Amino acid sequence: MTLERSDRLRVLVRLLFIQASLHRKGMQNIGVMHALDAVAPKIAPDPLALLARHAGHFNTNPNAAPIVIGGVLRIEEDGLAVSPAPVSRFEQVACSALAAMGDVLTVGALKPLALTLAVASAIYSSFTGLVAIVVLYNGALLAGRAWGLAFGYARGWGVVEAFTGARVQRVVMLARVLAALAGGALLAVLARRAFAEGLHDLAVIVIATAGAWLAMKRGWNVARLAIVLFPVVVIVAMLVK
Amino acid sequence: MPDLLLIALIAGVLAIDDRAGWQTLLGEPVFSALIIGALLGNVLVALQCGVVLQLAWLSIGAARGTRRPNTVVGGVVGAAATCLALAATPDARASLVVATGVLMGLVAAEAGAFVWRGVGELRDRWLGDFQLPASYPAASRKLAATVVGSALFVGLADFVIVLLLLPLAVSATVFASEHLGKGAAVGAVWWLACVSAIGMASIMRAFSTRWMVRFLAAGAVAVALIGWLR
Repeated sequence: MTLERSDRLRVLVRLLFIQASLHRKGMQNIGVMHALDAVAPKIAPDPLALLARHAGHFNTNPNAAPIVIGGVLRIEEDGLAVSPAPVSRFEQVACSALAAMGDVLTVGALKPLALTLAVASAIYSSFTGLVAIVVLYNGALLAGRAWGLAFGYARGWGVVEAFTGARVQRVVMLARVLAALAGGALLAVLARRAFAEGLHDLAVIVIATAGAWLAMKRGWNVARLAIVLFPVVVIVAMLVK
Repeated sequence: MPDLLLIALIAGVLAIDDRAGWQTLLGEPVFSALIIGALLGNVLVALQCGVVLQLAWLSIGAARGTRRPNTVVGGVVGAAATCLALAATPDARASLVVATGVLMGLVAAEAGAFVWRGVGELRDRWLGDFQLPASYPAASRKLAATVVGSALFVGLADFVIVLLLLPLAVSATVFASEHLGKGAAVGAVWWLACVSAIGMASIMRAFSTRWMVRFLAAGAVAVALIGWLR
């Protein structure tokens, strides 16, 4: 292997900002070229040609991008002549295989898990809890990205089959289960707080939850609905009191 | 004035993290409120505002055909307006000030998203026209400049948006706390409960499949049992 740990670290640091130059036409392509640029002279005789090969459309979950880029580094380093298909094909296949997995794992499980725990910590004014959540979440994310880059670099084309297996699905499912447990815990915390204020408050929150559920089901923007609701609720309360 | 600049600067940095960096979660309202509260010396009240805003934007799937609100701007403006208004009117009812702060946060987030749509279009056009130069050193320099410039653009946009919206939000919150009476304070508490309910509905919807709902129920029962035993 030509690339040393310090080289991969430079790629990883640049990949942390892959979203910085996100745009509609090429999505993350500028971020990808910037990350590859960190090691381009080491893995290709013509670094400019290497960058040009990756100037096309690139779109995946930012947390899954290091896996794809690790694979790209391996393929570029081994030489395109021994690659079973063009490197652009690898990017296409790996990006789509990993985008869904990355979205479900981070946006659908890890982030809601962290945020529900953060809200519960904030309700109980647990600053230690809030700090611990930030540290753990970012530790997990950074470790995952570092592992992903090393894994992609070790496997090359093998990345694609590694992330379509049942084991990955089990990890995603476990994260979703943890997020559901945390979500349930937060629901109980909010319900208990409303109950402590009185049955009247509990009734308000139950009715409001049912209303918000229905609004979401119809695809309405509930945050905007809440803005409109403010003067209505305040005027009703002023009339009642 | 120095507070305003510092708050806008924090919003700019958090925006870079949220939309250009690796999303550390610090841009989420519950954490941005903690930072703003620590800066303005009223963490507990800022957190109350942050929690409600977080629950309002907890939605795990975005609503169809809608633009995502600018939660960084909303979180920062909401928490800062609450803290600054309470500092300006110490005798005001805290619940009313928090509710108005949350309202300002929600409005600022929508306004921020609206402004960003226009400004982001310019950035999108600039990035869409990106061409690699003919020499490698020039290409390397251009890539670095584009990434850094684009990230700074995101930060600068939110810095300016907060700088413009925060004074309005503080004035509106102070006005509400000075002119609305006891009945309005009760209404504000009801409204805060309604906004929190959005978060509850989001969680229930996200995990309402037959397989997931049992874990949702298990989490709720576990907390209820622990509370009952204590």
